[in-house]
Amino acid sequence: MTGAAFAPSVAAQTTAVSPATPVVAQITAVEASLLAFVVLTALATALARDVLAAIIVFGAYSLGMAALYAFYRAPDVALTEAAISAGVTTVLLLLTLAKTTRIDHDVAFESVNVPAAGAAGILLAGLLLTMGDVPAVGSPDAPVWSNPDVTQWYLGESYAQTGVENTVMAVLAAFRGFDTFGEAVVVFAAGVAALIVLHREVFA
Amino acid sequence: MSDVRPEDDGDAAGADGTAVESTTETESDVPPHRAASRSGRLDSERRQGTPYTESQVIMPTVKIVAPFAFTYGLFVTFHGAGSPGGGFQGGAIMAAVVFMIAFAFGIEATRDWVANTVIVGLAVGGALAFAGIGLIPVARGGAFLQYDLLPIPVKYGLESVEVFGIAAIVSGVLMGLFFLLANGFNSGGDGFSDGTAAEEDVDDDGADELDTPDADRTAAADGGER
Repeated sequence: MTGAAFAPSVAAQTTAVSPATPVVAQITAVEASLLAFVVLTALATALARDVLAAIIVFGAYSLGMAALYAFYRAPDVALTEAAISAGVTTVLLLLTLAKTTRIDHDVAFESVNVPAAGAAGILLAGLLLTMGDVPAVGSPDAPVWSNPDVTQWYLGESYAQTGVENTVMAVLAAFRGFDTFGEAVVVFAAGVAALIVLHREVFA
Repeated sequence: MSDVRPEDDGDAAGADGTAVESTTETESDVPPHRAASRSGRLDSERRQGTPYTESQVIMPTVKIVAPFAFTYGLFVTFHGAGSPGGGFQGGAIMAAVVFMIAFAFGIEATRDWVANTVIVGLAVGGALAFAGIGLIPVARGGAFLQYDLLPIPVKYGLESVEVFGIAAIVSGVLMGLFFLLANGFNSGGDGFSDGTAAEEDVDDDGADELDTPDADRTAAADGGER
């Protein structure tokens, strides 16, 4: 779904940035419900007393984040979030939990640690104070989008130089290919490290 | 993690050997593909003996979904140039298909089906392919990953890095992590840890049980993984 829907839009944005697009200040119903879902599942993950429940709600949180990324036209990030966070990480956490003991609980939620909640609240308030200077979502004047040296240069040049329509892949595999090579080696090293930590010589 | 452990669980989970022996004794009369009837909650000491339960819902569902999910993983991998995705996402989806099959048909059966050579070959081969594709232009006097020096068009150079390099590494390592975590810590003598280290661990757990309840709890949680 995302593959067909978003590829033309990326190509269209490459050719022309339309400054006439009005900055949408109001939040749509889909966006609001997704944001509420993500916040609620994040709170439930932090406060759930049962570890299995926390892992399952964490998977739901990742799925909500993936939908939110897709909603904000970041299908590459959405795919990664859905596959890695909602899928693979949940499975690996469940596998690890199966090796430990599950304890019966009388109450569903952890009691809130007041000093920790206060510290988190102060941090949240400090971050919210800066929100006035953050550009609106989708604003064509946002520096991360409108600067001609980085974003617009990549959007204009990636197809001409690599022949790849997906600018994200062009940046990852070509312009910053050496970084990506390092990341791939980090993934490989993670597998080797897991072998060493678990005292194994074979994966399967 | 601030839960207070029930005290009687400390002994069973502390020493791995006793836990495994007790489960095999109690469930010897149960067919190996059936889980023992257990009261209410899942409990790892009993689940160690029955890692796999046939489900009439999960197995047909996975049978139907797995080919499509694997095809979608291949699509995301091979069409990273023209649509969202790429080797990382596609490799993760393909590895997740193997996870799905393992949950439906048993981790041990899937472990036999996906040989260790396949996983190691994917991970190592992917790393070598990425490095090789990057080094070919260096051999021709260019820079690392300078795609226009490859004998193929630039677009297919990027695609080959995504398909043969990144997708192979990610799918191989994720499958390897899955089977490794399913196995858990190797306290036996079949890995490169010798038997004396395992015995020392058991002794540590036994000694810790005499300590404070808090230390006992951590030691038991630590030993439960082994």
